[in-house]
Amino acid sequence: MARAAHPDAMKPRGPQRTRTAPPTAPAEFPFAGRYRTYTLFDWTGIVYLLAGLVALRVVWALGSGESAWSTLQQQLANPLYLAFHALSLVAVIFVGVRFFRLFPKAQPARIGPVKPPPQPVLHAMLYAAWVVVSGGLALVLAGGIF
Amino acid sequence: MKHPLLKLEPLIWLLFGLGIMVGTMLLTAWLAVVCLGAPLGLVPADALAFERAHALGATWIGRLVLVGVVALPLWKGAHHTRHVFIDAGGADRDAVVAPILYAIAAAGSLLAIVAAGRI
Repeated sequence: MARAAHPDAMKPRGPQRTRTAPPTAPAEFPFAGRYRTYTLFDWTGIVYLLAGLVALRVVWALGSGESAWSTLQQQLANPLYLAFHALSLVAVIFVGVRFFRLFPKAQPARIGPVKPPPQPVLHAMLYAAWVVVSGGLALVLAGGIF
Repeated sequence: MKHPLLKLEPLIWLLFGLGIMVGTMLLTAWLAVVCLGAPLGLVPADALAFERAHALGATWIGRLVLVGVVALPLWKGAHHTRHVFIDAGGADRDAVVAPILYAIAAAGSLLAIVAAGRI
């Protein structure tokens, strides 16, 4: 006659990974439905990465003297640079509009005793900051002030 | 390589968050004036003449803005480019791709500090 099985006979020896189904992409991924905006938002990362590297080149040229600065200014007028920077500006505005719309929705109901402002107020504050920072910097760079 | 990245996750997310918020605010003006307005002749020619640009960049706030214009978009870019790779089916290669992208952002940030210091 067989012995009764131990109740823990099938128990794993230690904690195991939860078994899950292999990941599969949704039917609409990457360019249909709501995934289009998600995918484009991710792709702006490539644009930001390249724009940051070009900005590094600009700052480096500024520290290298007048001749390097003039050469760089001429290079920035190249149609390829202009096209890339036009695309970058579109990407930056797209990121700003999307992120500033999402940011208020992602806030916790309260942080300790402090409650965040209502979503429309937070949204407006972000846009105000964008206008002030970007507008102020643009005015300085374009010679409007200082 | 996963483990060090997980440890650095809070720092990476801080820099990514700053990049997406502050970087976007700075880049809007930078692209509009320095990269498009000046080359297209839409801003006065002397606005970004070497003497003026150098004088602006040599102040402490000027250096800070220049470092921000370079470094913050690099971190936002590195993090989102990582996710482009993952979403394109490259999750298996994330352990290689992610450190490379963050290394580019880190090296670019350090070079931005050096570049701003040279002004």
